[in-house]
Amino acid sequence: MNYGPLLFLAAFFALASSWCGFVLAPQLQVGRLQQTNTLSGGATYPVARSGLAQQGLQVYRANGCAACHSQQVRQSGTVCDVMLTEAGTNELAVISALLRLKCGSPLTETERQAVSTGAGERAPPVMVFTEQDARGMLTRLPQRVRQGLTKPEADAAVKELTAAGAKAQTWIVPVGPDIARGWGRRRTVAEDFLFDYPVMPGEQRVGPDLANVGVRLPDPNWHLRHLYAPGTYEKASTMPPYRFLFEKRKVRQEPSPDALVLPPELAPEPGYEIVPKPAAIALAAYLTSLRADAPLYVAPLTVAPPAAPATNAPVASGATNAAPGAPAAK
Amino acid sequence: MSPEASEPAPTTPERAEPKAGPRAVPVFLLILLLGIVYGGMIYFDRASGWFDPQVYAPYHSASELALYQPPTGGLDLSRGKTVYDNICALCHNTDGTGKPNQAPPFVGSDWVLGSPNRMIRIPLVGLAGSVMVKDQQWNLAMPAMGAALSDDDLAAVLSYIRQSWGNKASVITPEQVKAVRAEIGNRTQPWSAQELEAIH
Repeated sequence: MNYGPLLFLAAFFALASSWCGFVLAPQLQVGRLQQTNTLSGGATYPVARSGLAQQGLQVYRANGCAACHSQQVRQSGTVCDVMLTEAGTNELAVISALLRLKCGSPLTETERQAVSTGAGERAPPVMVFTEQDARGMLTRLPQRVRQGLTKPEADAAVKELTAAGAKAQTWIVPVGPDIARGWGRRRTVAEDFLFDYPVMPGEQRVGPDLANVGVRLPDPNWHLRHLYAPGTYEKASTMPPYRFLFEKRKVRQEPSPDALVLPPELAPEPGYEIVPKPAAIALAAYLTSLRADAPLYVAPLTVAPPAAPATNAPVASGATNAAPGAPAAK
Repeated sequence: MSPEASEPAPTTPERAEPKAGPRAVPVFLLILLLGIVYGGMIYFDRASGWFDPQVYAPYHSASELALYQPPTGGLDLSRGKTVYDNICALCHNTDGTGKPNQAPPFVGSDWVLGSPNRMIRIPLVGLAGSVMVKDQQWNLAMPAMGAALSDDDLAAVLSYIRQSWGNKASVITPEQVKAVRAEIGNRTQPWSAQELEAIH
């Protein structure tokens, strides 16, 4: 051991540098993360999950859901759309501006990808577009008249339309494979997990991403039925049934209001009912609380004005509880 | 030292002990290393976001992120609306139509749509006495708001009044408010309508 001190120092610096990279730098970056405001409306974000949903997070953890489900949406790029909201009074000027800008049919997702990553040839902006089409376009406002532009291009187009007396806006649209699958509207960022402990972003996608499952499937009763019998509700699902979160019991006087409404092949024999245990109810509350689609400074996107119904509209639970063709459990 | 070297060689004299001497790194290796370092620096510059906690992929830098913030729809009147709803709306009504025996309307009023210089003066020290608004005689006292509101707030609320409820007049900037404030100095006496009509 002629080089003892040298070896010690080498080992020390190797470990210290990786500690700095993996522990210290992330701590400095997001260690003191605070609640922030959303871009539209400036609401506080994120808000803590309800107590039931926080219990559900521990159920999610205990059952290893994160082994097969991720909670992170990837985003490969951001493009801009030009949204024409009002034609104004000078229709001819707007139509000529639309023709000049070669506005036209929407881009497909692959074309969007090509634009956002800068890979390959830029999607040709010339669409089948005549004055007739422009007039038709003006009858269906608000409408995206150009899609998949870069920010400066979109701003220039908006300027030109505004000069013609119309009202137009640049829309910020995140794109990416996960967004194309409908798993989210923007990438997930550290803020989305601010109140979760532990954070379980997951690393495998045996099942679908759950970052926005509360938006896609807002009905807790659906989640309960799906936990009981996944294959019945998603044909290709490889998810194991979590029946130990449920209890089969005899109906005493009245059937329980929590009892699952199951299709006939799964329903228990008459006089019995399947009731979720508290853990299952908490897990369903946690799953329906999962949404990460608020527009933030760090992950901007344009959300439709409130005139269009938002996706978080509560679904009438009584109406959706009934499985198709299933008689109510007795 | 290899074992063969220690064996006696019959035809040649015993070789000297081999020694490790300095030897130049091959040039191709240097060039390769420089190329890797160069590529690494480019990748670092494009992908690191310079360790800014706000910059996530696919954005490359804070300036690119700022570029992609959605526009606020032209002019942002939200601040002015907040000030208006908190202060002015008590008397002038939330829709700017005024309230009988409390405050005259803003909608379509020449006092609002006219010269910015005249309009800015009114909230700064108030307006008292009889005043004609939309062919109607008002005789009330508007309190001074100049001490309570900053230049930014005043500009925001005056712009909101000039751009809302069908009003379409120019926006008022904080600089304009500041200039008028400096012009009237420490006057606390409310304006009369005649004084203001002389200002354009």
